[in-house]
Amino acid sequence: MKRVFLAAAVLASVATVSIAQDAEDPFADAVEMRHGLMLQMATDIGKLGAMAKGEADYDAAVATKASANIAAIASVISMDQFPAGSEYQASADSFALPALWASQDDFLTKVADLNTAAAAMQVAAATDVEGVKAGMAQLGAACSACHKAYRQPEE
Amino acid sequence: MLRILRYLVGLGLIVAAALWFVTLPKPLSEADVAGLTGDAAKGQAVFWASGCASCHMADGAKDAEQLVLKGGQRFGSDFGTFIAPNISQDPEHGIGDWSLLDLANALKRGVGRKGEHLYPALPYAAYAKMEMQDVADLYAFLKTLPADPTPSAEHELGFPFSLRQGIGVWKLLFLSEDWVIQGDLSPSATRGRYIAEALAHCGECHTPRNLIGGLKTSAWLSGAPIPGGKGKTPNITPAKLTWSPVDIVAYLTTGFTPDYDSVGGHMAHVVENLGRLPDSDRQAVADYLAVVPAVE
Repeated sequence: MKRVFLAAAVLASVATVSIAQDAEDPFADAVEMRHGLMLQMATDIGKLGAMAKGEADYDAAVATKASANIAAIASVISMDQFPAGSEYQASADSFALPALWASQDDFLTKVADLNTAAAAMQVAAATDVEGVKAGMAQLGAACSACHKAYRQPEE
Repeated sequence: MLRILRYLVGLGLIVAAALWFVTLPKPLSEADVAGLTGDAAKGQAVFWASGCASCHMADGAKDAEQLVLKGGQRFGSDFGTFIAPNISQDPEHGIGDWSLLDLANALKRGVGRKGEHLYPALPYAAYAKMEMQDVADLYAFLKTLPADPTPSAEHELGFPFSLRQGIGVWKLLFLSEDWVIQGDLSPSATRGRYIAEALAHCGECHTPRNLIGGLKTSAWLSGAPIPGGKGKTPNITPAKLTWSPVDIVAYLTTGFTPDYDSVGGHMAHVVENLGRLPDSDRQAVADYLAVVPAVE
């Protein structure tokens, strides 16, 4: 009887916890915000990437607009989208590692590097496809520097 | 009865002696490196392609710090934790007073300065396939790098893996200078095979291992659990890696996947390293991956 009671108590507490998680994930908005920024970033980088790979013809107008968008998105990235605690396993869709907050200065340095790479791409994208290719390498390095250090790899 | 026992003991001793003998370190000789002159500029490309800095630099080092090979990064495994040693030019704590033969022994035979077996956390199962000229070029490049006085730390391994003689058994089973992917390859794919199998040691993470840590070459590059970490490395045989060669080259150059997600984890080091090679080398790796047998 005691065992049944214990099992029921465990079940009840598990249920409570999962309901609580469903009901309020205090970081859901922040995580959604950063994923949205990254998705738009990928969309714009994709337009330049298609030109770099020769899948699309170089188009100065498209390249200029895409690189302007990338620079705009990069300038928005800040701790606003990364409230303390919105980390991997604490928030449902978060892949941000705790190291991001432990090394916040380094994280923000890497964000600054991204802004530098985005500015370089804005200049390069307006010239020709070779410029786009060079810009992609610098931009890719900036993206992966942060993802290497602060993103949990997907399984 | 006594005679049989004596016979058995004698046989046992002979087997033990034979096993001891065949598992001794097998260093190269001076003749193997005679007449070689290294070119530091070429050695720089070998250095990046082989990923030396990714493991031997300080954790998270950037830019010029990546060339300070002071060691200290920790690598978890099923056998314990390996700690990358100092391979800077410090004569006491690094490899500053190593000869070319010493370096060749470490890379191609897994044998250390004192004649001891080195653990295959140093991927000499791959480097064994290196051209000796590339070892000489690498040696010349390493000579241009700074010295750092940080002492190397001991690996943290449990028994019986703490006994180095066992590595001799491992080498008997798994150390080979033969290519994993045989047959007629195009010149580009042949170059790609050299980069992937000998230098960049792709198989060390992308190929599953057996119980004693040997690579299952029959499942070459088909993905494996990440040692000491979570998740798996992806299967990069044509069965699962369906990216076009253009996509693969772009990924190895910029780190962007075809969806324009970007590389993370340890692979980010690999992209950073391969990004320093000429375009033709990344194309070569893509051409090699196309001829690797598909493993589901």
